[in-house]
Amino acid sequence: MAAVQTLPRPKAYDDTFWKPITLWLTTTDHKLIGIMYMVTGLLSFVIGGIFALIIRLQLSQPHLSVVDAETYNQLISAHGVTMIFFFVTIFLTGIANYMVPIMIGARDMAFPRVNLLGFWLVPVSILLYYGGFFTGGALDAGWTGYAPLTEKAYQGHSLGVDFWALSIIVWAISGIMASTNFLTTIVALRAPGMKLTRLPLFVWAQISTSILLLVVGAPLAAAMILVEFDRQLGTQFFTTQGRPVLYQHLFWFFGHPEVYIMILPGFGMISEVIPVFARKPIFGYMSMVAALFGIVFLSMTVWAHHMFTVGMNTYVEGFFMLMTMLIAVPTGIKFFNWIATAWWGSIEFTLPMKFAFGFLATFLIGGITGVYLASVPVDTQLHQSYYVVAHLHYVLFGGSVFTIFAGIYYWFPKITGRKLNRTLGEWNFWTLFVGFNGTFLIMHTLGLEGMPRRIATYANPAWAATNMIITVSSFLIAFSVLLFFINVIRSWYGGEIAGNDPWRANTLEWATTSPPPPYNFERVPPVRSFMPLRDLREAGELPAEPEPEPGSR
Amino acid sequence: MGPGDAALGADILGAVKASITRLWPLAIAPAAFLLSSCEAPGGISPIFPTPVSPNGQNIFNTYIGISVPAIIVFVLVEAALLWVVIKYRRSKQPAGYIPPQVHGNFTLEIAWTIAPLIIVLGIAGYSFAELQKDFQPVTNYDFEVVVSGHQFGWNYTYPEGFTIQQEGTLAGDVQPFVVPVNKLIRLRMQGTDVIHSWWVPAISGKTDAVPGYDNFTWLKIDRVGTWRGECAELCGSGHSTMQIIVQSMEQSDYDAWVQKQKAGQS
Repeated sequence: MAAVQTLPRPKAYDDTFWKPITLWLTTTDHKLIGIMYMVTGLLSFVIGGIFALIIRLQLSQPHLSVVDAETYNQLISAHGVTMIFFFVTIFLTGIANYMVPIMIGARDMAFPRVNLLGFWLVPVSILLYYGGFFTGGALDAGWTGYAPLTEKAYQGHSLGVDFWALSIIVWAISGIMASTNFLTTIVALRAPGMKLTRLPLFVWAQISTSILLLVVGAPLAAAMILVEFDRQLGTQFFTTQGRPVLYQHLFWFFGHPEVYIMILPGFGMISEVIPVFARKPIFGYMSMVAALFGIVFLSMTVWAHHMFTVGMNTYVEGFFMLMTMLIAVPTGIKFFNWIATAWWGSIEFTLPMKFAFGFLATFLIGGITGVYLASVPVDTQLHQSYYVVAHLHYVLFGGSVFTIFAGIYYWFPKITGRKLNRTLGEWNFWTLFVGFNGTFLIMHTLGLEGMPRRIATYANPAWAATNMIITVSSFLIAFSVLLFFINVIRSWYGGEIAGNDPWRANTLEWATTSPPPPYNFERVPPVRSFMPLRDLREAGELPAEPEPEPGSR
Repeated sequence: MGPGDAALGADILGAVKASITRLWPLAIAPAAFLLSSCEAPGGISPIFPTPVSPNGQNIFNTYIGISVPAIIVFVLVEAALLWVVIKYRRSKQPAGYIPPQVHGNFTLEIAWTIAPLIIVLGIAGYSFAELQKDFQPVTNYDFEVVVSGHQFGWNYTYPEGFTIQQEGTLAGDVQPFVVPVNKLIRLRMQGTDVIHSWWVPAISGKTDAVPGYDNFTWLKIDRVGTWRGECAELCGSGHSTMQIIVQSMEQSDYDAWVQKQKAGQS
C-alpha cells in the first residue's frame, strides 16, 4: 500500500473508517450504520447468488440430482428470502441511512439509538433464518411460505419454519424502526430553506418507501405470529382445517407493497443520476412526487393479483386486475419524465448513467409483462410458471439491482473518497447486462411452454436447451458480480481520489468532504431550490472545477 | 415554464409521430411471428401450446390482444431510449453546448398520463369481458369429475363411481385422465392436504386445489390426443413428480374405456 500513502487523503477518511471494532459495534453515526447496512446487504447478495447458482446447476438438464428435492426446496426458499429481505431491502435502507440526513442537511437521524438498534436486529434476523439449516432443514415452502405447507403436519421434522417466522418478525420490527426514523428525520431535521418542495427526489422516494413499510410491516409480523400459533399452540388459522387462503391475503398485503419498497428508492436514485449526467433539471418534479404517492396508494390495493387461481368472485378479481393495471400510469409518468429529462441533454455516459439506462431498458420489460400478468385470464396461464420468475427478475434484478449499482457507482466517491475503477466498471456493466438478459429474457418462453416454477427437476427434453442457456448466462452474472467486488475492494484502498464534487452534482451531499466528517457539514449551505449545489456553483460560492472532457471518467 | 418548453413538447411529439410511421412494421413483425409460430413443437416458443379447449383458446386470444399495444409501447419506448443514447451524448453535442433548462411541460405530462390510462383501461375491459365469459361457474356441463390433489398425485373420480389415480413419478408416464371429445366436463377441484394447482397449458389456465372448499374449472377438448401438465403450486418434496396427462378419445372409445374401468374396479 505504499502508493496509497503518496496520495493526498482527506483526513476525515481516516477518522471515518479506521475505528476500533468497539466503535463500529456501538456507533450511532448514521453514516457508519449505513455502511454496515450496505455491507450486510452485499454479503447477503453473495450468499443468495450462490444459492441461485446451485439452483441453476440443478435445472441445467432434465433429471439431474445435483441436490435432492428437499434440499432444492430449501435453496429456492433461502434464495428468495435472502435476496428480498436481506439484500435489496437492507442495502437500500443502508444507502438511505447514509444519504438522507446529508441530503437534507441534517447532522444525523432523528433517533440515532433507535437506528443503532434497528440495524443490529438485522444480523439477528439473518442468523435466525440460517439457523434453520442446522436444525434439520430450513424453510422449504418457498419464500412466500404458503400455508398449510408450513403446518407442523407437513414440516414436523424440522424447526426451519419456526426460525423463518421468528426471523421475519424481527426483520419487520427492524423495518418499522427504520421507517419511523426516516419519516421523523425528514419531517423534523431539514436544513433552513429545505422546504418539502425542494427535497431531492431520492428523499421523496424514501418517504414513500417508509410509509409503505410502516403500513405493511405489522400485518406481515401478524401473519408470522399466527403461523407460529398454528405450529406451536395448535390453533387452526391457516391449517388444512382452517383457512389457508387467509394466509395468502395477509402475506400479499405485505408482499406486493414490498416490491415497491424494493424499487421506489431505486426510482429515487435514477431521478438523482439522470439530471446530473444530462446536465438538465429533472423533468416534472411535482409529477414525479405525485407519481410516487400514486404508486404508494395503488400498491396497497392490488395484493390479490397473486391469487387469481384460488377461485375468487370474478368481480373481486376484476377489481384487483384494474388496480394493478392502473399502476402502469404513475410508473409510466416516471418513465416518460426520465426520458424527457435526458432529451436535449448533454449526456455523459459515466458508469452510474450506464446503469441508469440499463435499468430503463430492462425495467420496461418487467413493467410490460406485469400488464399481462394483471389480466386475470392470461394470469391463470402464466401464474406460478417460469414466466413469472422471468417477470419478477426483470423487476427486481433489472429494476432494483441495476439501480443499486447505479447508486453505488454514483455515491461510492462520496462514501469512500475514491472513485471506482472505470475499466472494471465497464466490464461489470456489459457482462451484467448481457448475462442478465441472457438469463431472464429466454426464461419467459419456458413459462409459456408450461414449465412450472419451483420444480426440483423436470422430464421434458424440450426444455433442456433453454435451461442450459439460462444456466450458462447466470454464471456470466456471477462473473460480473465478482468483477464488481474486486473493483470495490481495489478502489476502496487505491482508487483515484474523488474530491468533494466529482460529478458536478445538484444535491447537498456533494457540498461536504468525501467522506463527510462525523458531523456532516461544518456549515450547512443555503438551500434556495431543489438543486442547492448547482445554485452555489452558479453563484460562484463553490471552488470552480472545470467541466471534464467527454469520456474522461 | 420557460420558452423552450413548448418547443420541447413539439420536438418530442414530432419524434413520436415519426417513430410511429417508421417503426410500425417493427411492431407488427413480432406479432405476426407470435401468430405464425404457435404450432412450433417444443423449443423456444413465444406463445402457449395450441389451445384445444374453448376457454384456453380465449385466453390465447386475450394474450395476443394484449400483445399488440404491449409490443407497440415496448418498441416506441426502447426507440426513444436509443434515440436519447445516440443523439444526446455529450460527445455528439457541439463544444460548450448548454442544454435548455426545462423543468416540465404541463401538456406533455397530461398527455402521458392520459394515454397509458386509456391503454390500460382498454386492456382491463377486454380482459374483464373474457373473465366474465369463461370464469363463471358452468351449469350446462355434460358430467362432472372430482379432481383431488394430494401429496403427491391426483385422483379423478368419475360419475360412474370409479377413480383414476395419477400417482406422482418422474420415472415414466402416469396413468392418463381420460375424457371424451367435444363434451363439456366440469372439474371439481379439491385439496386433501396442502394446496396444489392443476395445470395443463394446452387446455386452459391453472385452478388451485385448496383444502377446505371446492374450486371449479372446465374443459371441452375438440380433438383426440394426449396433453401434459404438472402441479403448479409448491406442495413439498414430490412437487415436481406430480405429472398430469389428459387423454381425449372418441365417444365410442370412451364408453368402452368406462366399461373396462367399471369392470376392473368392481
